[in-house]
Amino acid sequence: MDKLIDDEMLVAQFQAGRQNAFDELMKRYKSKIFSYLLRSVRNYEDAEDITIEVFFKAYRALEGWQPKAKFSTWLYKIASNLAIDYHRAKARHPVYALDDAEIPEVHLVATDLHSDPERQLEEKERGLIIREAVDQLSPKQKAVFMLSRYEGMQLKEVAETLDMAEGTVKIHLHRAVKRLQTLLRPLWENNEI
Amino acid sequence: MPKCKKSEGQAIDYASKLLPPEEEEPFEQHLKNCQDCSEAVASYTAVFDLTDKAQAELAVPEVALKNIEMNVYKRLAATQEQTLFSRIRTYFASVGSPFGWYKTAAVSSIAIALIAAAVLIGKPFQSEDTLRLTETQSADARIEQYRQQGIQRNLEEALITQHLRNDAWETESQLNRMKEQAQGTNWTQIADKHLESLQSGNSTLQ
Repeated sequence: MDKLIDDEMLVAQFQAGRQNAFDELMKRYKSKIFSYLLRSVRNYEDAEDITIEVFFKAYRALEGWQPKAKFSTWLYKIASNLAIDYHRAKARHPVYALDDAEIPEVHLVATDLHSDPERQLEEKERGLIIREAVDQLSPKQKAVFMLSRYEGMQLKEVAETLDMAEGTVKIHLHRAVKRLQTLLRPLWENNEI
Repeated sequence: MPKCKKSEGQAIDYASKLLPPEEEEPFEQHLKNCQDCSEAVASYTAVFDLTDKAQAELAVPEVALKNIEMNVYKRLAATQEQTLFSRIRTYFASVGSPFGWYKTAAVSSIAIALIAAAVLIGKPFQSEDTLRLTETQSADARIEQYRQQGIQRNLEEALITQHLRNDAWETESQLNRMKEQAQGTNWTQIADKHLESLQSGNSTLQ
């Protein structure tokens, strides 16, 4: 299918009964949504399940979808809501699992003879500490931080995605950054970066 | 010395490149004379550098993405089946309630009537828009389509293992897995041919 066809056109085609259009939308967004959810829930299987749930919900709601916002914003809204639900459920029923250990990481395999396994291990540990710091943000702070930082969204789009006023998004973002600054300060004060 | 009032909001926005363009230059001028803000920007920039790097290390495994579509359609197909049953149940519940204690008898009579109608007329619930039986078929067709694609992909991976990695043991293992996955399709014969070729040491079969 032509990549130049925009998302909203594909939605219109789907609404007109062309099922392939939804396949194309899944193809375009599955990696981005999975990646966003993996960063949010930090568990491979849960991220996969929620990704499936996102597209399942999108499929069922797409027939009545009105292009008030971009399709991608709407899709991220579903993903963000599911991620927030996930974090709330997890807070109610905490599971102490070594989630991060399950996540495949880039750069873990020595790629050449000059690679330094000790340094790789240190980097891995530091990455773990940083991701745990991000996990300590409130679900809304985390969602705002993730969307603006890693999904390349403008504050306006983040506000639409999370159903918040733009000013509220900014407040959450500022709080998130200040919290991370407090949590991560020891890393650069101890010359660990 | 009191902390600069700009340091919190504007410094974060500047470090995260969210400061409006018209505020950038005045803030940069301010930074030259304000140690509080310079330190704050350096600190927030360090936060972003750290978190960006840590998040970049998280990779979405390709294998996880392969089955997303199929699992979405499986989920849709399963729900559509449930919807059919739940609609029948809801239908009986709604017609049963006005009859009070005659409910059981009424439901039985209606059930018999519906079965008779199904035999005589066919597709008694088809008029309900939300049932979407055609979409159920579509979801099933898509599950099969993605299954076939998965089989084909596994065959390609087996051939890559055979020809590029020269690993006969792993190739055989992959072909057997693919054959198992392909039960009931013509792909099993293709797998057999490749297995025979592999065992006879003839790698010309593409």
